Amino acid sequence: MVTLIDSLKERISNAVTVNQSVGILLPGNNYTEFIQALLEFIRVRPQDAWVYVSVTKPYENIAKQFGDLSNYKNLKFIDCISRASGISKTYPNCTFIESPTMLEKLGLEITNTFKEVDENVSKYLVIDSLSTLIIYNDLDIVTEFFYQLANKTRARNIHSMSLVIEEEDTNKYLNKLIYLNDKILKVRDSFI
Amino acid sequence: MAEDNLCKTGIEELDLQVSGGIPTGSTVLMVGSSGSGKTTLCMQFLINGAKLGERGVFFTITEPLFKLTKNMEGFKFYDKKLIESGMVNLIDLRIISERLGLNTEKYSIEDAAALLDVLRDIADELNVKRLAIDSITALCYRLQTKEMIRDFIFKLGSSLAAMKCTTFLTSEVPPRTFQYSQYGIEEFIADGIIFLGDIERKGDLIRTFQIIKMRGIPHSRTKFAMSISSKDGVELAPLLKSKA
Repeated sequence: MVTLIDSLKERISNAVTVNQSVGILLPGNNYTEFIQALLEFIRVRPQDAWVYVSVTKPYENIAKQFGDLSNYKNLKFIDCISRASGISKTYPNCTFIESPTMLEKLGLEITNTFKEVDENVSKYLVIDSLSTLIIYNDLDIVTEFFYQLANKTRARNIHSMSLVIEEEDTNKYLNKLIYLNDKILKVRDSFI
Repeated sequence: MAEDNLCKTGIEELDLQVSGGIPTGSTVLMVGSSGSGKTTLCMQFLINGAKLGERGVFFTITEPLFKLTKNMEGFKFYDKKLIESGMVNLIDLRIISERLGLNTEKYSIEDAAALLDVLRDIADELNVKRLAIDSITALCYRLQTKEMIRDFIFKLGSSLAAMKCTTFLTSEVPPRTFQYSQYGIEEFIADGIIFLGDIERKGDLIRTFQIIKMRGIPHSRTKFAMSISSKDGVELAPLLKSKA
């Protein structure tokens, strides 16, 4: 029987390997399944380098929920939320940004992390999520950041996956912003 | 300008913004308030120079040496061996003043001239290519009148020009002000001015970096966000323009 997780993995695979940038419109109640599917997908692709930017949940919470992430040798985290939430623990596979408002610093950390990866390795970036970034920042600055990031990742041949967690009051502008990506994946229960 | 005539700071984005490096022999005023990153930038400039084989001297008058080295030990770029080998020399000007029998809190014009001679002798003797004075403001503070400060600054300018080494002078200004110096004279001996400031975004302070002038070379005047981390030291990224 095909589960939602299996179906999501397949769709992630189809979308991210073919397209340079993918926008994911994700209902809040499917967030956990999607992240689980994504992490499972990352685990079976050890040949690729992944950078996961977390604004939605602290690294510690993700690790608690989805198991030991230090086993993923091909995955580095950039956590923008722990320090702002008063969590001071450190982990070797995670870089911490003081605050989700420090978008330039986030851009630098993404660049620096990918700099350590061999040129021939396929590179993937996950932004989790644009909708959380606008909780801490104004829409204009997130838009500017996203444009800058999209240009940078394209120039460096980095595949990107940007999440927007849909809620009833999801900002319409944010919905438009995500359409800057080459492909949009709308996660629905009907995937099964 | 030929590569040989450029002094690479080793801070990638900074070098890019000044067409590859600061013209060798320039005096650059590094302006900023407390915590803006002046001292770290100067030390990174000297350490990176030493790694390229260029000897440097850091003259401090604001911070005891043990504190300075303790603060630097956390940075990955900092290499204690370069200090021990004499490739980067850390000199406390207050100790020099004491040894010269000068009043360390108040300088006469003769005292200041004597200090300048020592500074020049040290730079000559060590064949220094890079110099940092932290800070010009604290040095001038010890002079009693505006005339003395003016005279001292111009003599310092002539001495630095004669030494032909690339110099960073730090200048302390009050926070959130757009002025280059405390006494309004320091900028006139500078070939370059770099302004370190900050902006507030949703209550968080973002350090900024902007080249105001750099004689003899095309340069950017864009405002950058400046990050200081133990891993990478000073790094620059274009500042997002949208207002918070």
